[in-house]
Amino acid sequence: MIKLENIHKYYDSHHVLKGINIGVDKGEVVSILGPSGSGKSTLLRCINFLEQPTSGIVEIGGKRVNVESASKSDVFALRTSTGMVFQQYNLFKNLTVLQNVMIGLTSVKQLKKDEAKKRSLEILERVGLSDKLSHYPAQLSGGQQQRVGIARALALNPEVLLFDEPTSSLDPELVDEVLATIRAVADTGKTMFIVTHELNFAREISDRIIFMEDGVIIEEGTPEQLFTDPKMERTKQFLSKATRNN
Amino acid sequence: MENLLDINFLIESFPAIVSRLPITIGIAVGSLVLSLFIGVFTALIKIYKVPVLSVVTSIYVSFIRGTPLLVQIYLVFYGIPKIIYYLQIEYGWLQSADVNSIAPEVYALLAFSINLGAYLSETIRSAIESVDRGQFEAAKAIGMKPTQMMLQIIFPQALAVAIPNLGNMFISTIKDTSLVFIIGVVDIMGQAKILGSRGLAFFEVYIAVSIVYWILCIAVERLLVKLEKRARRYERGIAS
Ligand SMILES: Nc1ncnc2c1ncn2[C@@H]1O[C@H](COP(=O)(O)OP(=O)(O)OP(=O)(O)O)[C@@H](O)[C@H]1O
Ligand SMILES: [Mg+2]
Repeated sequence: MIKLENIHKYYDSHHVLKGINIGVDKGEVVSILGPSGSGKSTLLRCINFLEQPTSGIVEIGGKRVNVESASKSDVFALRTSTGMVFQQYNLFKNLTVLQNVMIGLTSVKQLKKDEAKKRSLEILERVGLSDKLSHYPAQLSGGQQQRVGIARALALNPEVLLFDEPTSSLDPELVDEVLATIRAVADTGKTMFIVTHELNFAREISDRIIFMEDGVIIEEGTPEQLFTDPKMERTKQFLSKATRNN
Repeated sequence: MENLLDINFLIESFPAIVSRLPITIGIAVGSLVLSLFIGVFTALIKIYKVPVLSVVTSIYVSFIRGTPLLVQIYLVFYGIPKIIYYLQIEYGWLQSADVNSIAPEVYALLAFSINLGAYLSETIRSAIESVDRGQFEAAKAIGMKPTQMMLQIIFPQALAVAIPNLGNMFISTIKDTSLVFIIGVVDIMGQAKILGSRGLAFFEVYIAVSIVYWILCIAVERLLVKLEKRARRYERGIAS
């Protein structure tokens, strides 16, 4: 249902992704772990073409795109079938909470205003922000902003949600509310890719964990396999070091 | 006895001067509107590094900044009729245009739009570039088209940043419109000159006209403060 085939990404001569292959079933939650600079963000951003991959194939919900010959409408299709949640939230600063969630429905999906509003209200209810509809992002806490970010990503009802370190900018006491929201979304059967440094969370929520280093997937498996019995020495080192730091 | 000022003449000159205010405001506001289009268009050319047009834009901005406004007004006033005439004779274009019937106000409007457009270009470019990259990325990620992204997300935020600068340039433009009488436009300044030479009381009329400019600029400044507050409301206050 989501397939990445042999994805490569170069920044000039810098080879950042070196042939990534991933296949994910509907409803699967996949966490991507790995040291800083290993290419995790780049991988997520290649899926929705925020970065243009150099070569490879991206397939989402039956839409198969060879990245080298991707047309504008291919890119549009990939972007509307993915929802992205950013580390820095990136809420539209000039729009209210409700407008942030609605804008994709009215501008991109061209829904009628009432219809868009109705759906947005439902989604904001799910992330627990019905009482902040007319607040601007600057008036919200980081945790609230990120929950709006999740609501905005959910609004277009994408095939897959992409989370790039969704809690890394948050004060520690706000992390839990965002993790709880992500968990609630996962429980609805949404397919998700999560790049995170929250190892316990990844272990608990994921169906599968992918460990990346230096632009390649070193190892993948269920959380149990990876955390209790990693095959590769590098995975072992990373996990023990990261667990110590946690 | 000798009076420093003919107060009566000064006061009586106001109605006639004020009656030309629509010309002054019309040229200033009209060129603001046109120059905003020029400014946004050229700013986007620079930001997206459009080949050829990028170079043309740089030359345009540099030329306007490097030459006096007075000279630019003359260039437009004498140049445009010549160019139209040339196109009519050589290519048979623009046959319906009657060069002699173009009002001097039109040249003034054009000259000021071209001038202000060049100054706005840089301001608008830096305002757009000051918008957080994350705003662009979030808009693209939900599938917004470039035009939607610009109109709904980027321009509103850039405008909030640019208003103080835009406002200062607009106020300069209001004052600079006092040059338009040189091509025969009777704005408030032109009217003051006419009254002054009629009554041989130049000091009086220039005091009167300076007061009109002053009040106009204060009013515009007030308006700008309100506009800026409105444009920046999302940074603090609660939406209504
Ligand atoms: N726009 C860019 N231009 C050039 N190089 C880049 C660019 N973006 C990322 N890189 C490089 O690509 C490599 C992978 O970066 P990426 O951000 O994907 O890593 P990451 O795994 O997400 O790291 P982190 O955990 O720190 O977020 C790094 O070496 C980085 O310097
Ligand atoms: Mg990253």
